[in-house]
Amino acid sequence: MSEEISIKGLSKVFKSDDSETVAIKDFNLEIREGELIAIVGPSGCGKTTLLRCIAGLEETTTGTISSGDKLFTEPGPDRGMVFQDFALFPWRTVRKNIEFGLEIAKVPKEDRKAQSDKYLEMMGLSAFADHRVHELSGGMKQRVSIARALITNPDIILMDEPFGALDAQTRNIMQRELVKLLEQTDQTIVFITHSVDEAVYLADRIVILTKRPAEIKEIIEIPWPRPRDRASPEFTALRKRILTELEKENTLNNN
Amino acid sequence: METTDIKAKLTYDKNNKRHRRIRSTIIFILSLVIFVLIWWDISLLAHTAAVPSPQRTFEALVDLFTQGDLVTGYTMWHHMSISLVRFLEGLALALIVAVPVGLLLGYSKTLREFVNPMVEILRPIAPIAWAPIFLFVVGYTWGPVLVVFVGIFFPLLTNTIFGVQKIDNNLIDASRTLGASKYQVFYKVMAPCAVPYVMNGLRIGSGIGWMCIVASELYAASGGGIGYFVGLQASLFQWPNVYAGIIVIAALGIITTSLFDFVYKIIVKGMGME
Repeated sequence: MSEEISIKGLSKVFKSDDSETVAIKDFNLEIREGELIAIVGPSGCGKTTLLRCIAGLEETTTGTISSGDKLFTEPGPDRGMVFQDFALFPWRTVRKNIEFGLEIAKVPKEDRKAQSDKYLEMMGLSAFADHRVHELSGGMKQRVSIARALITNPDIILMDEPFGALDAQTRNIMQRELVKLLEQTDQTIVFITHSVDEAVYLADRIVILTKRPAEIKEIIEIPWPRPRDRASPEFTALRKRILTELEKENTLNNN
Repeated sequence: METTDIKAKLTYDKNNKRHRRIRSTIIFILSLVIFVLIWWDISLLAHTAAVPSPQRTFEALVDLFTQGDLVTGYTMWHHMSISLVRFLEGLALALIVAVPVGLLLGYSKTLREFVNPMVEILRPIAPIAWAPIFLFVVGYTWGPVLVVFVGIFFPLLTNTIFGVQKIDNNLIDASRTLGASKYQVFYKVMAPCAVPYVMNGLRIGSGIGWMCIVASELYAASGGGIGYFVGLQASLFQWPNVYAGIIVIAALGIITTSLFDFVYKIIVKGMGME
């Protein structure tokens, strides 16, 4: 069953010898069960830090992140993560990359194979099961990475600019595929992106962050069904509105 | 017409793969021929028994492989196999010790900071300097093996540590989000990441290892070995035999290094980590 994430009073301060950087300050957000929530904001605003805190890869300075009565302080198989640079294991084949989480969970070999077969099929990678990662294109690499995160069936998928390293065309294809995938799964997805277009295309809700330290500027609900038409007037209008907000954020803080 | 055709055929074309190969082969052969000629010249000019001609050396080499030398009665094969076994024993020992220690030191900063001063004191010492001590403590059989061990140990250790530190942190993060424990991160992610660096350490270490085995056998060894053979023949003034031994040492060194180069490339390519 999917769960809700509750972020309460979250702050994250990076300390070095002579400076303190407040990445996130007193941040509160409730993430709903089964939604795709996109987080956009100016570069360097602490989006990725926020996601890494949810993943448990980063310790929070103050505040809590929890699901029900479970606190997220360590990484766990209940939260899968997809990285911008794919973070695939180069010495493993595509199949072995996808099976990694199952291997960790000590799932027997035959079950692992059945599972990876399913995800290879779903991602259109069946023909590449025994290939090494370096033989794949960027889009295929990210599909492997998504399959690897999905296979352990986590309640929450954290995506850190997953399509940021891809060219524009591949990016569009991947977005369409993710929409198709969303129909088949009921996972909660937290999606960090630079691209407002991508956020409007994919998300149920968009959280706009301020410049660092990250605070919530606005939350926008998008009730439209998917797949969405990028050329429709309401799509472009919303896109423009968010872009203007972000631009304001940039100029405001530069003065 | 005909003359231009021949000319075109004889002109070097650098885009032609066959031409390039023929060119390299000619240069290679020429280099070896000139080398032998220089050697010949020096042997004539020096006019001393300590520099035999290439021809005498070659005859000695053939005799050594077929009949063995007059003093010990052993053939060159015997000496080669003894040195090779010592070399491999030292190498195996270095692998068993240096790789796990290197992985641990790469993993733990505290441990690394603690061990580093010791390593930096010991590392610059020429491995052969330990030979007298090793021979006294563990005897003639294991002494040379330990010298080889020391020679290979340090490049292997430093490369393994480097390999663990060079690891892409994203890979560790990814494995942690997939539920990997610290121990699983260590042997499922860090160890495989370090393999190319371990292989590089072996490649560098093997060259040093051969120098160590020859040097320590020259110093003292029992039952044979290439270095032992060269030392013995020199003390008997059998100069052509000495040179024959040196040629065998060179050949074995080249073979070992190219073999490790080859294995390195195969493994790194096989792991998709070029």
